[in-house]
Amino acid sequence: MITVGVLALQGAFSEHIQLLRQAAMTIKPATPESPNFQFVEVRTQDELSKCDALIIPGGESTAISLVAARSGLLEPLRDFVKVERKPTWGTCAGLILLAESANRTKKGGQELIGGLDVRVERNHFGRQLDSFATDLKLPFLDPDVDAKPFKSVFIRAPVVEKILPHKEGIQTEEAEQVDTVVAPSKTPKDDAAKRMLGGEVEILATLPAGSASQSAAAKGGDVIAIRQGNVFGTSFHPELTGDPRIHTWWLERVSEQVKMKSTTA
Amino acid sequence: MATELPTTNGHTANGETSNFQVKAGLARMLKGGVIMDVVNAEQARIAEEAGAVAVMALERVPADIRSQGGVARMSDPALISSIMATVTIPVMAKARIGHFVECQILEALGVDYIDESEVLTPADNTYHVEKSGFKVPFVCGCRNLGEALRRISEGAAMIRTKGEAGTGDVVEAVKHMRTVNTQIARAANMSTEELRAYARELEVPFELLQETAQLKRLPVVNFAAGGVATPADAALMMQLGCDGVFVGSGIFKSGNAAKRAKAIVQAVTHYKDPKVLAEVSKDLGEAMVGINCGKMDEGEKMAGRGW
Repeated sequence: MITVGVLALQGAFSEHIQLLRQAAMTIKPATPESPNFQFVEVRTQDELSKCDALIIPGGESTAISLVAARSGLLEPLRDFVKVERKPTWGTCAGLILLAESANRTKKGGQELIGGLDVRVERNHFGRQLDSFATDLKLPFLDPDVDAKPFKSVFIRAPVVEKILPHKEGIQTEEAEQVDTVVAPSKTPKDDAAKRMLGGEVEILATLPAGSASQSAAAKGGDVIAIRQGNVFGTSFHPELTGDPRIHTWWLERVSEQVKMKSTTA
Repeated sequence: MATELPTTNGHTANGETSNFQVKAGLARMLKGGVIMDVVNAEQARIAEEAGAVAVMALERVPADIRSQGGVARMSDPALISSIMATVTIPVMAKARIGHFVECQILEALGVDYIDESEVLTPADNTYHVEKSGFKVPFVCGCRNLGEALRRISEGAAMIRTKGEAGTGDVVEAVKHMRTVNTQIARAANMSTEELRAYARELEVPFELLQETAQLKRLPVVNFAAGGVATPADAALMMQLGCDGVFVGSGIFKSGNAAKRAKAIVQAVTHYKDPKVLAEVSKDLGEAMVGINCGKMDEGEKMAGRGW
């Protein structure tokens, strides 16, 4: 059985757990009597250590980062994502925390976990009045052009501003940028973890022009879903819909990665 | 667990499904967090560093409104703007009950949430603001299920207990939360016919009451507010089923605001863990002095404003 945690320090963690449960029902279990997955809320290092995969939900990234640090979770989270290279998905605030570099943070910056070689811009579209929901075609979910679009909710959302080359060590050029924070560097613990890191960042979805009619910033082409090896990030909130398709897709990737790791270990 | 807030809002204010999803969605992002009253940019920064998920920008905290008296109105837009320019977390601001022009002004300023609040002097003693037409989301206070569902039917995307603001006494917030819980439990055990009668008694739309009865909780995010002064108060409200906590005068009227603010943030995340609560409650210095709600005249209470 695979244990999937949802970081429950603050934000929309209950929504993720509900959609994971829905998603798990659509995935056929290996044997009918044993479930494939269990889902748990994570608030402590002990709870994190029991997880094979993790979701970092939407919420306020500054609050999540400060509470994580004070709860002794920041380093264990970095180990989970970047040393163990276990499957991790961040939505909105979660995407910010999983970026190696971020800007428009609070004064004095904020702590990042890292794992995705990108620079994320916080609150890209503006304030709550610029938040929006739009139907998107997500080819990674279903390449069929006639596939049912995914209702995507963007709330004070970030976007991926720049894809960075993967480096040993921290993103030094990013660290020199004004008002930009970077995550500390970590080394994958073994060959299996190195293979999980994979190569460069894959862009999985961009926002078409005109999606956010109210927002001047939405000129189209904004990168809103990415993946790099074991780490997946979306700038919108699949947890605010009744649609479990992205959760199902991700759980399938989690199963593959857990299997791959156990066979190479 | 039956009391989970489902991922989609069954409630659609005037058919505006996606607009309401975006409004109620921000409240979901605040869950498990603390929203702090601040009166200037410096306090807003302290709140942000403490891990607040949002700040409420106002000229006077409720304890001062209470002691100074007079008419309490929307804050100076210059003050609200300066706080918005200082922090990167959401900024909320208060409008008087029924004062839809203050709401229009706050929306024009670009605040992230409006609190149509009994802490300010009501501007209309018959009507609350019709909130569905605004693009900015609203939070409103309640003392019971009837008030909560009436505010939601007017378009509020988030609810909080009224409590008794500016007292540092949590007793009223507890009473309001327990009242809502009891009434929801009662509704959850009713037949459709009984629910129709109960909807008339509570003066709320039947569909909204039915949805609440099925969910066994309010259909939007529900925070505690009014009298929370310590980490234990905050955790108490969370254990009673609140989704998060507003702290008004409790932080900046206390001895060590930064430390107390951080402690309350930790207490709301780890509300089920008494060991953490014991740890964060240590050496916080003096709590706000407070006023015992039991010794107040009904006329002095703010919670009686609105209906």
